Amino acid sequence: MAAKTIMIVDDSSTMLMSLRNSLEIAGYKVLEANDGTVALKALQAGNKPDLIITDINMPNMGGIEFIGKARALPGFRFIPILALTTESQQGKRDEAKKLGATGWLLKPVSGTDLNKIIKQVLPGA
Amino acid sequence: MLAESLNVFLRLDDAIDGSLVAVIADTETSARSIVGHIRRLHDSASTLATYLDGTSLKAGDLGKEIVESVTCLADIGSFIEGLPAKMERDLASVQALVEEIKTLSDMASDVKAISLQSRLLGLNAAIEASRAGTAGTAFKVVADEMRKLAGNSSAMAVRINTGLSRTQEIVDSGLRFTINESSRQLAGVTKAAESIKKLQANLEDMSQYYKTRFAIVTKHNEDLVKDIAEVLGEIQYQDVVRQCIERIRVAADRRNDALRSALEMPDQSLGQDAGLPRQLELVLNEFLAEEQNHRHSVRQTQGSDAPLKLELF
Repeated sequence: MAAKTIMIVDDSSTMLMSLRNSLEIAGYKVLEANDGTVALKALQAGNKPDLIITDINMPNMGGIEFIGKARALPGFRFIPILALTTESQQGKRDEAKKLGATGWLLKPVSGTDLNKIIKQVLPGA
Repeated sequence: MLAESLNVFLRLDDAIDGSLVAVIADTETSARSIVGHIRRLHDSASTLATYLDGTSLKAGDLGKEIVESVTCLADIGSFIEGLPAKMERDLASVQALVEEIKTLSDMASDVKAISLQSRLLGLNAAIEASRAGTAGTAFKVVADEMRKLAGNSSAMAVRINTGLSRTQEIVDSGLRFTINESSRQLAGVTKAAESIKKLQANLEDMSQYYKTRFAIVTKHNEDLVKDIAEVLGEIQYQDVVRQCIERIRVAADRRNDALRSALEMPDQSLGQDAGLPRQLELVLNEFLAEEQNHRHSVRQTQGSDAPLKLELF
């Protein structure tokens, strides 16, 4: 079975390094973007990940706006999108949910927990 | 008003200090956790290396036994392969010897018959020589020589028979040697079943041994992967701390802006204006609200059995 591809979007290079290594060790392919604008361009260019994990507070385009715009792209209606953030404000959670986020996950997350979550939202992973 | 401003200023400092104390504790806990995971990684890797060393030695012993069994089977195979040619050669030799003995045996019979005939002839010649009296004296010498010749022929026949007996013994002994040699090699063949059984047992042992070793190695590998994943998770605290410091910097910048604005007022108004404490209070409240929004990411709020911080929509 081909490895699933996961896109990670975060402005922290530490987060990108941590997530990329955790996911690659678990056998996933990884696409990286350091903000919502870069991530959206990558999707528009034809990349179609099986799962997107995005930070919320980022420069240029934040995670909530990115979730809304990604959902509007053709073929991205049902791809799971998880927010991974230190933010726990209910208002932001509600907004992300309204725009189509699949779940809200608080940083930091261990590799073991991340893999459990991925298996929950990505059947067959 | 100045006292009120200073009071809010100090409360903001206290709040900042609280956040700094929390992130310092977080970084310390995270660093200790990383060291712990790295130690476990080292221990797992060492155990794994020891297991692999042991596996290599044991595999060497089993491999040696298997090579011995295979060599034994190869020898038996070579013997069986050469057996038809060997039997053919032995049979041809025996047949040649039998033919030779038969010829010699016929010759011995002929010599015996000649001897008997010569003896009779000598006896008759002796009788006739006696009858002839003096005239037969010379003839008597011939008759005596005939009888001697018969005697010699008889002795020759005996010697031929003796030679034949010796030849027979040599053939017998040769056959016995061949039989013994074949028996020894056949005994080797009978060991084939034993070797095959031993080989099978060795292979089963090796299979079981590797199965067990692989299970142990897999377990250690899983531990390694788990610890690596945990270490990578701990590294994410850098981002949590970075964001906390960024929030503190924002609050400090806003506080300093408020202070700078107050300092730009005329001297008589400084300390009388109600704007400064209000602005400082605003900065404090927004900082506290931001900290509240991010409190779930602080390690101190979670226990080891804390539920996963995930909400699925």
